[in-house]
Amino acid sequence: MLARVVRIAVVVAMLGLVVTLALAFRRDPHDIRTGTIGKPAPVFTLERLDGSGKVALADLSGKVVVVNFFASWCLPCTEENPALVRVYERYRASDVVMLGVNYQESRDNGLAYVQRMGMGWTTVADDDGRVALSYGVFGPPETFFIGPDGVIAGRHIGPIDEATLVNAIETLRARAAR
Amino acid sequence: MNGRIVIAIALLALAAALVFAARPHEVTADERIDQITTELRCPVCQGLSVKDSTSETARQMRDLVTQRVREGKSNAEIQAEFRAAYGDWIFLSPPVASWSGLVWLVPIAALGAGLVLVTGRLRGADAPPPAEPSATQVAALRERVAREEAAEG
Amino acid sequence: MSAGDLGAAALRAALFLSLWGTGASIYAAWRRDARALASARIAAGVGFALVVIAALSMMFALATHDFSILYVAENNARETPTFYSIISLWAALEGSILLWTGILAGATAFIAFRGTIAIPRLATTALAVMFAMLTFFLLLITTPAADPFTRLALAPDNGNGPNALLQNHPLMALHPPLLYLGYVLTSVPFAYAIASLILGEGGDRWLVATRRFALISWALLGVGIVAGAWWSYAVLGWGGYWAWDPVENAAIMPWLTSTAYLHSVMVEEKRSLLRTWNLALVVATFALTILGTFLTRSGVVNSVHSFSLSAIGPLLLGYLVAILVLSVGLLLWRSARLRDAGPIGAPLSREAIFLFQNVLFMAATLTVLLGTLYPLVAEAVSGAQLSIGGPYFDRVEIPLALALLFLMGVGPQLPWNGASRATLERQFTAPIVAAAAGALAALITGTTALAAVLTYALGAFVIATVVQEFARGVRARGTLHGESGLTAFLNLLRRSGRRYGGYVVHVGIVLVALAVATSQARTVDAEQTLAPGETLVVAGYTVRLDAIRPVSEPQRDSIVADLIITGNGASEHLRPALVQYPNSSSAVGSPGIGAGLRDDLYTILAAYDQRTFSWATIRMRVIPGVSWLWLGGAVVGIGALIAALPVPRRRTVRMPVAEVAVSAK
Repeated sequence: MLARVVRIAVVVAMLGLVVTLALAFRRDPHDIRTGTIGKPAPVFTLERLDGSGKVALADLSGKVVVVNFFASWCLPCTEENPALVRVYERYRASDVVMLGVNYQESRDNGLAYVQRMGMGWTTVADDDGRVALSYGVFGPPETFFIGPDGVIAGRHIGPIDEATLVNAIETLRARAAR
Repeated sequence: MNGRIVIAIALLALAAALVFAARPHEVTADERIDQITTELRCPVCQGLSVKDSTSETARQMRDLVTQRVREGKSNAEIQAEFRAAYGDWIFLSPPVASWSGLVWLVPIAALGAGLVLVTGRLRGADAPPPAEPSATQVAALRERVAREEAAEG
Repeated sequence: MSAGDLGAAALRAALFLSLWGTGASIYAAWRRDARALASARIAAGVGFALVVIAALSMMFALATHDFSILYVAENNARETPTFYSIISLWAALEGSILLWTGILAGATAFIAFRGTIAIPRLATTALAVMFAMLTFFLLLITTPAADPFTRLALAPDNGNGPNALLQNHPLMALHPPLLYLGYVLTSVPFAYAIASLILGEGGDRWLVATRRFALISWALLGVGIVAGAWWSYAVLGWGGYWAWDPVENAAIMPWLTSTAYLHSVMVEEKRSLLRTWNLALVVATFALTILGTFLTRSGVVNSVHSFSLSAIGPLLLGYLVAILVLSVGLLLWRSARLRDAGPIGAPLSREAIFLFQNVLFMAATLTVLLGTLYPLVAEAVSGAQLSIGGPYFDRVEIPLALALLFLMGVGPQLPWNGASRATLERQFTAPIVAAAAGALAALITGTTALAAVLTYALGAFVIATVVQEFARGVRARGTLHGESGLTAFLNLLRRSGRRYGGYVVHVGIVLVALAVATSQARTVDAEQTLAPGETLVVAGYTVRLDAIRPVSEPQRDSIVADLIITGNGASEHLRPALVQYPNSSSAVGSPGIGAGLRDDLYTILAAYDQRTFSWATIRMRVIPGVSWLWLGGAVVGIGALIAALPVPRRRTVRMPVAEVAVSAK
């Protein structure tokens, strides 16, 4: 009787092990869900990189806000930048606000990068990293989409492309229009 | 001196030392910071804790924890702040209270089951141990040692 | 013909020979055909030579920077020093599988030539199992998934260079080959166990034939793990040596089951019990090495920032499934034949302690396995993402380790079959006094954490039992053979190596435990930004930043901080650095370590003024006792060597009856 229980347990355990390992292949390491999606975006007030005053997220309520965490030392950021520039040009006259948050570097380096890469949108300094931590950022580049209601609707880890950006923005605008 | 008295004194000294080590004491702010950062996972490392990691992100997280402790926040409040941002992922040991408590239960259950199985296979404590090996048994043993050494080369 | 062509051709020829050898050895075992066995032997020998040629040609290609080979282009650069070029054989997936295959081919050849002489049928069947496994690995490295000799149509001018972490320390030359040797040699006991099950042999011949292999693979795994801990301590720059990383877990699991096996096998040898269990342990040890390889090489468990999923994952998983099905199936099928007769022994007997020890080792292994895989299970089942790391493993494993330390002292003091009260008192008085002294010593030296105090107490307990055993052995030899103290001591190690070498291993394990407990309980650290000339004081040590300066080498650029450390009798000049390799996006920290038997001074350059070198942020950790961890690892290795060395032949045969009875006790 006991021997039989042990036998069955061994076989079941082995099966479980193999199924687990096989299922693990389906896992997408890109897909990291953090606690912030679907919740009100953590508020912040940060200084602009060029030193021309402060930006408060609270002042942007009612608009679609794209928050992009970037750094000059991050290669994928350089990779995604052209897409960000195009999307910024496309929406600059609308109620969509793009906000670049400089991640873990000195303001001088950040500002030089912003100017070199032709980033026309507002860029701010997150000197002590608190804003990145409150958004649950793993590392740049990361992009958050905040709806007019101030709730984080979506997030993208890693370099983003134009289609993903436009798609996310349009979804939020359509929802706001309804 | 009688052997038993020596053993008793040694066991008493041992117990006293352990009780001294285990005595409850006030947790200082630094110890709290250590406790919290040991449990937090550094988001940019390979499974290192915020306490151990030398990365910039971990440094910022340590600064945040230090500030919150100074502000008088409780451990639970500080942990809730990180959970809100990163989810349960940020903690290096899963909460006991949810169904991920299984991960704590299984080793303990396995240990218990193993001990029960083994105890069941043991002879009763009061049964007499078998007699000393006889001369023929010793001879057989000796022959086997030689054979095995030969087989092994 | 280039080195790459030669290597690729050699591997393909070896695959052919391995296939031949598999068939020939199966036929030889089935028909007891001597000619088939002879041809299998030749296949094994020539196959081994061919894989060695392949590995050497890869080393040659690396040393001569032949970037027409993809592996070389990805893992080597013109500037890479020759030493690091050569050891880049195991710096990445394809090369390390080539190394693995080479070791496996060597073990196969060894069995073919040596094993098949003493016990032909069993060894020939085992040889067939070895050949089958070798064939799998040769298939693996001749398919595009892991072919180390894949060519590039257009050779680049320069290669990518090895991973920054892998060209930063010479220990990289030692630690992976040791681990791989340990991993691969577990396949020998496995092959014999499978052969024994296939042939339906109830006896323990497989076990006698392979116990030296089991011991050596266990020792290599253990020493490899310690060398790996040392490497991560010296390279990764966070001042720790163990992080319960999946790669580390993969190495510790087979070591745990293998340790359990080395002990429970003695119960089978002495009492002919636990046959199925020992077979299961051998199978588990081997399966865990494959599972570990799968986990670490397929990319299924890894950090968020590694995005590659290697194509060999499914192949390794298939291999693991085949091994599990074959061995579990055989075990279940044959278990009736292997059933033990009767109970095992009294609760206070050596065999009972071995059993309890086995249960603890199984719980420890299961915990590591569960902790490593649970995030995968949780995500597959509920989609929840969670982490299991250091704090979880520490909480479960430390109590288990302490219990094991206790049993390590108790086991050798109990006779087989059960102990009387008088025996208990005689055996344990001194160790218990030592335990009390150990606990007090911990408190006096400032180690006050409960787990650490327990470790000191149990460590002293174990050391006392070992000293007691040696003292009795020396005295017995003095009486029996009239030997003086030192001669008797050396003769104990030489003539009863398995037993007394085992005690030396126990001492090594205690040193490791004490080092871990001390360093975990009493590490102090501090971090401060210093201008040149300024100082930082940690635990009585004064750190002065002397200068901060750039250093240029052909393969890398570094920023070095010169630190002068004084205090507590120390005077050290340490040079922590941030090293920038051309192929790495961020600089790699290279700690400056002042090692000492009392404290290690571990310094890290965390940040610096990039323009004028006017300041540097220095992190200093004072880590007490950590050097004893490496020493303990070495003692374990030495003890295992003593235990594995053959006993001098003539003496054994003439061994007097009295001594056999003593050593059998």
